Order: sequence, then C-alpha cells, then structure tokens
Amino acid sequence: MKQKKIINTLNIIAFLLPGLILFIVVLIAPIALSGYYSFFDWNGFGAKTFIGLDNYKELFTSSAIGFLKALRNSLLLAALSVFLQLPLSLGLALLLGKGIKGERAFLSVYFMPVLISTVVIGQLWLKIYNPSYGILNVALTKLGLESLTRTWLGDVKVALGACFVPTLWQYVGYHMLLMYAGVKGVSPELREAAMIDGATSWQVSRYIVIPVIKPIIKVSVIFAVTGSLKSFDLIYVLTNGGPLHATEVPSTLMINMLFLRNRYGMGSTIAVMLIFLCFAFALLINRAFKEER
Amino acid sequence: MMDKQYEVKKSSPVGKTLSYIGLAFWTLVNLFPIYWMFTFSLKDNDEIFGQNVAGLPRNWLWSNYSDAMRVGHMPVYFANSIIVAAATILITLIAALMATYAITRMVWKFSASMNAFFMMGLTIPIHASIVPIYVTLSRIHMLNSYWALIVPYSAFALAMAILICSGFMGEIPKDLDEAARIDGCGVWRTFVLIICPLMRPALATIGIYTFLQCWNELMFANIFISKDALKTLPVGIQALSGQYTTNWGPIGAALVIATFPTLLVYVFFSKKIQESFIAGAVKG
Amino acid sequence: MKRKVLATLLAGVMALSLAACGGSDAGSSAPASTDSGSSASTTTTTDTTATTSTDTSATATGGDQINLEMWCIATESDSNRHSYEAAIADVTAAHPEINFTWEAIENQAYKTKIKAAVAADEMPDIFFTWSCAFLGEFVDAGRVYCLDDSIANFQYKDELPEVMLGNTTYGGKHYGVPLTMNIVGLFANMDILAEVGYTEVPGSYDEFIACCDKLVEAGYIPFGCAGKETWCVTEYLESVIEKSCGADVLNDIFLGRATWNNADVASAVDTFQGMVNKGYFDPDGIALSNDEVKANFMQGKYAFYMNGTWNCADFAASDFGSKVKVSEFPVINADKAKLGQLIGGPSDTLAVAASSPNAEAAAQFTLELGRLICHYGYLDGCGLPAWTPYGDTSSVNPLTQTVSEICANADSYVLFGDTAMNADDANTYLSYVDQVYGCQIDGNGFVSGLAADIR
Repeated sequence: MKQKKIINTLNIIAFLLPGLILFIVVLIAPIALSGYYSFFDWNGFGAKTFIGLDNYKELFTSSAIGFLKALRNSLLLAALSVFLQLPLSLGLALLLGKGIKGERAFLSVYFMPVLISTVVIGQLWLKIYNPSYGILNVALTKLGLESLTRTWLGDVKVALGACFVPTLWQYVGYHMLLMYAGVKGVSPELREAAMIDGATSWQVSRYIVIPVIKPIIKVSVIFAVTGSLKSFDLIYVLTNGGPLHATEVPSTLMINMLFLRNRYGMGSTIAVMLIFLCFAFALLINRAFKEER
Repeated sequence: MMDKQYEVKKSSPVGKTLSYIGLAFWTLVNLFPIYWMFTFSLKDNDEIFGQNVAGLPRNWLWSNYSDAMRVGHMPVYFANSIIVAAATILITLIAALMATYAITRMVWKFSASMNAFFMMGLTIPIHASIVPIYVTLSRIHMLNSYWALIVPYSAFALAMAILICSGFMGEIPKDLDEAARIDGCGVWRTFVLIICPLMRPALATIGIYTFLQCWNELMFANIFISKDALKTLPVGIQALSGQYTTNWGPIGAALVIATFPTLLVYVFFSKKIQESFIAGAVKG
Repeated sequence: MKRKVLATLLAGVMALSLAACGGSDAGSSAPASTDSGSSASTTTTTDTTATTSTDTSATATGGDQINLEMWCIATESDSNRHSYEAAIADVTAAHPEINFTWEAIENQAYKTKIKAAVAADEMPDIFFTWSCAFLGEFVDAGRVYCLDDSIANFQYKDELPEVMLGNTTYGGKHYGVPLTMNIVGLFANMDILAEVGYTEVPGSYDEFIACCDKLVEAGYIPFGCAGKETWCVTEYLESVIEKSCGADVLNDIFLGRATWNNADVASAVDTFQGMVNKGYFDPDGIALSNDEVKANFMQGKYAFYMNGTWNCADFAASDFGSKVKVSEFPVINADKAKLGQLIGGPSDTLAVAASSPNAEAAAQFTLELGRLICHYGYLDGCGLPAWTPYGDTSSVNPLTQTVSEICANADSYVLFGDTAMNADDANTYLSYVDQVYGCQIDGNGFVSGLAADIR
C-alpha cells in the first residue's frame, strides 16, 4: 500500500515535471531575479551597486523617466479597449449571434486581422498614417476634409489615439468570436420564450444573453486590460514611444532603459511594476465582476 | 408601453437594414487595409505617391516580390517563424497535457493550488522576464538559436494551454480511467493510449492560441536573435523596413508574403479554426 | 590643389585639441590584457549556425584557419556600404587563412544589439562603434581589446595620425580604429534658393534668416528634419548653440566639465525654437525617419538639410548632386563664436572584442580593414579620411572637397553630443532636445532640466 503511494507520488511528479521546469525556469525564477536586480544600479556589464529602493523612488518621482506618464498612457489604452473595443465586439457578437444571413462570412472576415502578425499590422498602419502619401490623409483630402488631415503619429494630441486604432482593428474580431461563442450558447428556447413574452431583441440581449455570457466578458476585460498594460509590439513599430513620450508605455520605457540607457536595474524595476500592475488589475476585475453578481 | 415594444419587434426591417449597414461597414474597415496593402505591394513609388493611390496597380510590379525574397530573405524568415511556432506548439502541448493530467486526474492534496500556480502565467507579462532570461541565455550561450525563442514561448503559452486542457479533459468521463486501471493499464499507458487520443479536439484549440502568441512576438525575437539566418518574420520585417524606408513596394510585398499564406490557410479551414478557437473560450 | 587642401586639413586637425574623451572614467587600464584564452572555446562553439561555415575545415587543418566575425551598420541602404564591401574584398583576398563573416544591422537596432552583446559577453570579434562615451563604457567594462601593441606593429601605422585616435583613447591606451570623420554640414538646394533670388548660401546669420523668411513667404519649407530620430534634431540644435556660445562652452558642457545651467545656451535654444515657431521646419518631419526626410530633400521638398557630411556621397551620386551645395552654419553671435567652429570629429570606429579567441589577429585584420574602408569611403565621398589618404584622390566628389576645405579652415570641433555623453546622459539629453523641438519647454527649461537630470 505504502509502495503504491510512493509510486503514485513519483508519477505525479513525473507528469508535472516538464511543465513545472518550463514554468519555474522561464517565469518564476526570472521574476525573482528581476526583483533582485531592481535593487541595484547596474549597467548590464559592469559591477552592480546595491541601492535599495532608490530605483523605485526615482521611477515614481523623476520626470525625466516619465514612468507615471507611461502608466497613464497604458491605462488610457486599457480604458479605450474596455469602453470602445469590447462594446463593439459585443455588439457584433450579439448581431451575428441572433442568426443573421451571411453570419458565417461576416464572422470569417472579422476574425481575419487576428491572424495577421502585429508587426505587419504596425507596418501597414505606418503607411496608412504617412502624412504625405498615406491613404488616410489622401482620402481626407479627396473628400474635401483637408482640415482634418494631420501628422497622425507625430501630433502629441492624437498619436496615442492613432496607436489605439490598429489595436482595435486587430482585436475586435478576437473578442467578438469569444463572445459570439457565448451568445450561441444561450438556448434558443429561452430566447423564444422571452420574445413571446413581448421582449424586444434589445431586452433579450440585455437581460438574457449578456448575463449568461458574463464570464466570457470578464475574461475579455481581463485580457484587454492586461494586454494594454503590457502592450509593446504595435507601439514599438509605430512610434517607439514618441513623439515626446506621448505614446510611451511601460514596456517601451523598459526596453529604452535596458538597451539604450544601459540601466538594467531600472529596467528590472519597471518589469517588477508591470507584473504587479497586471496582477492587481486581474484581481480587481475579478472582484468587480463578483460583486455585481 | 406594451404596444410600443410590440411595434419595435415588428419594425425589424429598419433595424435589420441598419444592422446590415453596420456589418457591411465593419467588413469594409476590415478588408480595405488588406486590399490596399496588396495593391501597393505591386506598385512603384510614383503610383503609390499620387497617380494611383487606392486603385489596382497599372503595371503589376512583381519585382517588388523578388526584392523582398532576395534582399529581404522573406522565405527564410517565414520558415524560421514556422519552425519556432511548430516546436513551441509541440512542447506546449506535451507539457500541458501531462500537467493537466496530473492536476485533474490524479488524486493528491495540492492539485488545486498547483493549478492556481500555473494560472498565474495568464497575467504575467512576457516582457517582465526579459533581463534575467537574456542574461541566463547569454551565460549558457544559447542566444542566437531557435531554443532561445522556443523555450520562453512555450513557458508563456503553458498557462493558457493548461486552462484549455482542463476544460477538455473534464469532459472525459473518469470511469474510463478506472476501467483502464481495472484492465491492468498503468497510469502512463492510460494517459498515452486512452486520454491522449480523446484529447485530439483540444490539440487544434491549443495550437491556435499558442500560434497566435508566438507568431506575433517581437520583443524577445528582436533581442535574442541577431543572425539573419535565424530571424523570425516580425524581426525580419522590421529590419527590412529599415532598409526600404522610402521604397514602399518591397515592404508591401514583404507584408503580403508574411500575411497571405496564413490567410490562405484560414480561408480553407476558417470554420475549423473558428470552432477550435471558440472551444477554447467555452471550455476555458 | 587637392593635395594641398588635404595637407592643410590634416595639419589643421592636428593642431586642434580634438575633444578627447579621457573624461570617461579613467579607471580603464586593466582590460588591456583580459586573457583571451579562457573564453576562446566558448566563442567558437556558440556559432553553430555561422552563415559560411568552414568550421570543420578550421579544426581539420589544426587551427591554421581563423574565424573572424564582424558586426557593423553598413546596411545596403547605407552610403558606406560600398566602401565596406570593397575593403572587405581586398583584405579577405590578402588573408586566405581567415574565414571572415560580417553582418550589417540598421543603425538604431544596432545600438540595442551591440549593448546587449556586450552585456552578455557575446560580442563578435570585430564590431563597429561610435567613439568617446559609447565605446568608453565597453572599455570600462573590460570588454575591448587594447590596440597599443597592434598599432605599433602595423605596417601602415604612419598613415594613422595620433590625433585621430583621441576619441578612442582611454587612460592613455588606444582601443579603436578610426574610419572616417564627419562634420555637420548645411546642405542647400540651390534651385529652390534661386527661386527666391539667391545664388549663394547666405553667409551671415541675418541674411540667412532673411532668406528663410523669403522661402516661407514663397511657400517653401526651409528645413527638413527627422523628428522621429532625435539625433537629426541635434544636428540643427548643436550647430545653433555652437554658433551662439562658442565651441569651448559646448565642449565643456558635453564632457561634463561645466554645468548645463548657462544663460547663453538657454538663449541659443530659444533662437532655435524661434526657427521652429516661425515655421522653418517641415511639420510632417516629426513623424518621419531620417531616410524619408533625406529622400524628401532630394526630391526638392526642402531648401536646406543639416546633417552629417557622409551624405555627400549619396547626393553627389544622384542627379541631385548638381543642385546642392554644402557650407557651414553662419555665426549667430560673433562675440562668442566664429566660423570654423564645427560639430563633428572622428566617430565611426571599429574595435576588437577582448573575448575574441584570436584578438591579435583580429586587431591586425581590423587595422587593415579600417585603413581600406577609410580609403574607399573617402573616394566615395562618405566622409573625410581619418587615415592619411594615398593614391589618386582626384575622383572625390566636389561636395566632399568643399567639406575638406571647410575642415581645413576649422577652428575647433565639438563632438556630437550623444556620442560625447554616456548612454544614460545622452538619452536624457535627447529627450530634452525632443521637448525643445516639440516646443514643450523653452531654453530655460532645457538648461535647468538638464542641469538637474544629468547624473
């Protein structure tokens, strides 16, 4: 009996081993190390100097680093995702989920951008936004809306918004398909029963469908928010944080610290803050959805 | 009040038309940039920059494609991306299947906390571990190898894969295990011969989610890989755009080369891909 | 005539004290003899995927074959590409015992990559670097091979003037092989200037401003400047500061010998900002890369383009060459500055990694290569030679010849700010330059901010 238990334990360990090794070696240990590096002033190749919490202090107080601005930008992106992108996805999912002609074709088209590499999307939008030859400004000019043309990625006021649009373009389909799955999961009987009771299709959506797909919405919100906090690829390709840090996000700032300024300690500090923020927001969103229920 | 609701329900033609207009508009928004990318990949700068901005190319300039292939090494980058993605998917699958089996099918005290432990991976940003991974990889001289990407990508895809696996595995009746055990099957044989074949639908789903994750990744690939022969598509395209800043045609061609094969696969298997993707949402 | 110009040029340069970078922590004497033995095996084994792999033959012939790898920034669109290719062809032909592989990486990406490689001690045997602080940090970390002995043993050492090594000398030891030297030039599209009635680039600041005003009035954009790459903004700003405050003031500040808090600098920055506000700069430029701005200039979109004189080659090689003239930025405040005070100096450098298993062979190879890259680069018009030119140089393009004349009359040089400062400071500096260009701060904000934030 005892032997059997030992074998069982060994088996469990054996089954977990590949996953655990990957997980600990690539995620947990590096994060612990990042935490350790964040207490040092280190250029990556010279000697490390222990400076305690100075990196954290500098991160939050130095206007030259501008971490708070980067944080604000990524929170803005998160807010735009949650309040613009997700409602759009939800609307499309509800429309298509009702069973409309051409449902399949629409679905396929809307999911297409999800499969395109972010760098390709970034390069493509870089061309779309080009101030002189980009299709956007050209189209605006042709439509007689010349006053609306601008240097989309160079104007401090609109650059962040201009960076958000490609994200929206890329991910609406992603969230839509997730939600669509939920909408399709609502039993047709329930829907019909409500309609017979005289509910409008809006009411059906609001009071029957949305509550059912709430767990999926929650997942979408978490993905959208943490995704915005760690956004990098698109911003890196489009503006690399410019103009004047108007589109700076923590990830671009981190890369800047690490590989342009040779400040590995400070870069690690930003990494630690990123993890902390992602966890905090995931918990917060979980909590919010629980309370509502 | 009652009447009004009744009316709204009846007057759906207007609503329907509006819905279709909305859907058609969004279709246009989705397709136009892709169409535009395709057209400018076949034009020279004169056409792109004025004479013919949005129309089909007048002279189909296929030389842009040969530029992207020859100077831009697009086929190499594409192959690298495929190799990295395939290996990542394979490793993720094996590790996730095994771990999920241990967590959901074996009886032990800490299985729930182990699951929670893995789920942390869902929120940890991949970027946060770049410095230590970089330093470690360089110490063991693993930079500039496929493994420098495959191993981290697998680790970061693991959490999602385990989540999806648990959903699928939960649907396999536990009686099966018991029956197998009574028949004298060991744990390993049960896993390999009974569970794994039944998990086939999960493979596609995990494959898609993992693919999306590693197909896009730029930061690690950019920093860990410096050899042209090993670059993945995102890095390659970035490098190419640095070389052709003012000549749009070859860049467009490179973008098309990077995009259309995936889209082609998607067109043929769109239903299957969508279903597998959806399965991830429902099960996870 | 040409010979004479060159002779005077070199004499002039020698007489000047090129801002030596000794300032970067002088404690860099140790790395000279970082043993190459211990890391020898590692470097060779990692490159399992080397592009041209003759690895097997190397081991087979008992170590007669040497593998050398080089990283540089001479991508196919870079003006220096041809000189690299020509020089490499010559040197590899002369050294059949060396398996040479090289890779060119785009400028901005290269900075990230080489720093990462230095941090990881995964450097190639030979690498491109900028002089002064950029290389200095690597030297401090003990990652760069000292070239003192190699230079002493080099057969053409007489062609390498000591003064050209100033920017790569740390603690009295030499660590870099200079290639070309460049200054910031004011390039003018004479066709556009003719439209507003000028046949020459205005020589005095007042005339220059009057010319810009006329251009704006006539609907032309005077300056093209890539806001997406801040170093392009510094080409303008540093020239304006230097011609307002004088070279010494700027040099002292860049090398950390004086504080940024300087009222003259502040007012010079305001002068620059005044130009921005008067619409002298292309508003679209802020979102463009330098390659795009340069292409715009060559297509006649701007009247002036201030940038490094390495551009001479590209301009001269195209039809555009006949329309363009190069000159130096006019003096703004004649009490403090004068003509001949230039921004630039030898910066493009090749260095050898201390970790290279064949460091000495790499060093000799690099010296030969550097000499030839300089030679071909000068013939191509990519810059002025850091090595004494040899052979027939009459084919050098007229733009580069004009630059030679400007340098021959040079009074003093101030190295590019972001090269002179260490990485952290340089990026702080660039971020403030960005803010000036974006009109978020004025001259006072600039100097007081930098005084506070430069560590």
